[in-house]
Amino acid sequence: MSTPGPAVASVAKPAAAVVGPGGELPIVSSDVSFVEIETLRSREFIPEAKEALSALVKEQAEGKLIRPVFNWAGRNSLFPLHWGLACCAIEFAAAFGARWDAERFGVVPRSSPRQCDLLIVNGTVTWKVAHKLIALYEQMPEPKWVIAMGNCATGGGPFRTAYSVVPGVDKLVPVDVYIAGCPPRPEALLDGILRLEALIRERGA
Amino acid sequence: MNPEDVRTKLAAAGAPGIISIEPFEGVAARVKFDPTAATALFPIVRDALGFPHLSMVGGIDWVERYEVFYLVWSDPAKTYLLLSADLDAKAPHIETASACWPSANWHEREAWELVGIQFDHHPDLRHLLMPDGYQFHPLQRAFKLHEPEDLEVKVRHV
Repeated sequence: MSTPGPAVASVAKPAAAVVGPGGELPIVSSDVSFVEIETLRSREFIPEAKEALSALVKEQAEGKLIRPVFNWAGRNSLFPLHWGLACCAIEFAAAFGARWDAERFGVVPRSSPRQCDLLIVNGTVTWKVAHKLIALYEQMPEPKWVIAMGNCATGGGPFRTAYSVVPGVDKLVPVDVYIAGCPPRPEALLDGILRLEALIRERGA
Repeated sequence: MNPEDVRTKLAAAGAPGIISIEPFEGVAARVKFDPTAATALFPIVRDALGFPHLSMVGGIDWVERYEVFYLVWSDPAKTYLLLSADLDAKAPHIETASACWPSANWHEREAWELVGIQFDHHPDLRHLLMPDGYQFHPLQRAFKLHEPEDLEVKVRHV
């Protein structure tokens, strides 16, 4: 109020109260103050809306407008690959049972990597199965994320120096969330999934 | 069946290359044989002694020598028999048993892969537990476990 702009200055014009913007629209109303405010709002709204809409259209061309919507939808419907490697897969299965019910977070395991955007590596990865894991990861469509569940997938676990075990699945694929435990409880898996959701929101992928 | 029975039956069948027959815990007898006589000995053990089922084939690295052993089972006699042969430490090799007992196929693949015993005339001697192209025989005494920090992983993306 201390520094009135042009819109506030036009409020002070009582002569324009009975005529529309530019004088072309006759206002049929007895309530002068109401008509005055409405006309002023319309007059200022149209160029502002034009400007905002053109900016949105420009952003839409760059994909910025729809990306938050996809982010919101994607992070709340993570589809992990239904792939069990070792004893962590038992906890993985329990997390989708009646007691923990991971599906209430939109997490539904799918049997085809083409339908998945989350790879939960739940168990010991041997060198024999390593190239299968990479093939499955490559088959998943972008954007995709990886959770290393348990000590074996995180760093080889008790088989760290063994001749047949990959010492950490991050040597093969990029890992977003590591879950410690041998095996981790289903609560830890759910916590990891929720942390991944927060990570996706933060990254804006 | 005791070691004397095994000795009598093997002698009656004219089994070649028998070095020693001695008692061994859990089995009828342990038969040490010359690896060069393997091809002739295996059918005799299977048919004349009546051991049609080969339970397992294994290899051991004793540093100064290699040992390959065959555990065979007789259903009528309800007993195992252990066949064992000492191999040269420089180039351990023996004729395959898969021509006589087909179940030896995968066992010999495993023994070749992990211990490094070469099985001659094997129909399909390739890796079983390790990926193709693995360069080492990890159950040999000379094999050293690598520290993961020293490991260089080369990933071939599909």
